[in-house]
Amino acid sequence: MAKLLIVDDEVDVREFAANFFRKRKVEVITASSGEEAVEIARQEKPDLILLDIKMSGIDGVETLRIIRGNDPAAKIIMVTGRKPEEENAFEKCKELGAIDYVHKPLELDELEKIVFAAL
Amino acid sequence: MRVDYKKELESAAKSMILVHEPDVLIKMIVRMIVQKVKVSHAGILLHKNGNSYVLTVSRGPSGIKIPAGFARMDTDNPLIRIFRDPVYRSLTNGGVFVCKEVLKQLSNKKLSAEQKEILKKALYQMEIFDTAVCVPSYHRQDLLGLLLLGKKEKKKDFAKDELDFFMALASDVAMAIRNAQLFKELENELDKKQRLFIHTIIALAAAIDAKDHYTHGHTSRVTSLSLEIARRFAQEHKDMINDSFLEHLHVAGLLHDIGKIGIPESILNKQGPLDELERQKMKEHPMVGAAILTPIKELEDAILGVKYHHESFDGSGYPQGLKGDHIPLIAAIISVADTFDAMTTDRPYRKGLSKEDAIGEIKRVSGKQLNPQVAQTFVKLYEEGKI
Repeated sequence: MAKLLIVDDEVDVREFAANFFRKRKVEVITASSGEEAVEIARQEKPDLILLDIKMSGIDGVETLRIIRGNDPAAKIIMVTGRKPEEENAFEKCKELGAIDYVHKPLELDELEKIVFAAL
Repeated sequence: MRVDYKKELESAAKSMILVHEPDVLIKMIVRMIVQKVKVSHAGILLHKNGNSYVLTVSRGPSGIKIPAGFARMDTDNPLIRIFRDPVYRSLTNGGVFVCKEVLKQLSNKKLSAEQKEILKKALYQMEIFDTAVCVPSYHRQDLLGLLLLGKKEKKKDFAKDELDFFMALASDVAMAIRNAQLFKELENELDKKQRLFIHTIIALAAAIDAKDHYTHGHTSRVTSLSLEIARRFAQEHKDMINDSFLEHLHVAGLLHDIGKIGIPESILNKQGPLDELERQKMKEHPMVGAAILTPIKELEDAILGVKYHHESFDGSGYPQGLKGDHIPLIAAIISVADTFDAMTTDRPYRKGLSKEDAIGEIKRVSGKQLNPQVAQTFVKLYEEGKI
């Protein structure tokens, strides 16, 4: 079974997204912060990571940098809001090796397609 | 206990009218549904600008919680199409979409393969959000939103009166949301007008500064000093200053010298002290300013500041020689700010005073030229290091 790590500091987002993918036969693990995500990514080696950009503590961009630094093969999709500062951050994420990004609010079909294409 | 849906609907409609904030309204409606009908959760997908319906709120005691603004459905989403697209409207019987009913419908031989296909896809969308019933909300022909309801307590079926209640509620909700949106738009429009107004005033004020070279920046300094004084003054005289006073003062500060537009540049920009005739001409500027602004009815209170900012507390000022409390407070405040700025600004024929000397001068003319209470407030601001 493919393994997906969902990183978001909002508990409702984590739970909803986790349920959504579990129903679709994906093994889901979650992390509530960048720090936790770095640790879990190292131990669990997920096939794909869904990473929220805007988080308290170390943010998504920094988390991406660290995880990719530890494991250059890590596949990461960024989740961004519509705010300009978050949209601009995506250029940086691409340089750091993120493979794709999705915008909140999410069309769940689209999210599903992007995730399954990457798994 | 049975719920009297007709009564609930009436009371809901009543409170909806009172709420003008679309987001608050939607939360209120969802909360009411969850409480009265006892469903696991309820959410509302609301049409936002463009092609998206955004899940605005979703809550409930036991069902899934989806954070606001996390999920959306675009207009090509099957569940949206089935309610929006006239071709598919017959599938929903113009009303509520109940999961169980739809499943039954799928075995109906009269439906085409294409119709069955979209029904299946719509059901799949409902399943994503754990939805048992979908209630559309229309305004005229437009789909404003979709109410998504979870399962009922103990997985009971929805009764007919409950479904009717949802439909009636949805149409009330559509109206209320539409009203709230219109109200919001109106407010934004007013904000815009207000900004346009203040920018126009600033442009007018800039016209004076452009003409009078020696007082460059004077207008904006007097305006901000005046507002500082008024806010400090309000701390001790709460009843005399409110928000609308500050707005008028803002405008009056910007326009206090607008009458100088009518003074010849040879006088305004003269390289030396004015002679008697020139001084008389210069003294006309408050009246000229008031005359320029009088046609603008809304500026009535601000004009007082323009017209009387050269009156003196002891009655020796101009244009009317008003005395003491007969001088409007708005003018008395501008007068102090204006005097201070004039004293501390360099002129070609004299250097400006230092702040300390200017404060000394303010104290000296307090009760003579200047309103003593306002002058005292100004001195306090200085002592508090705010000037």
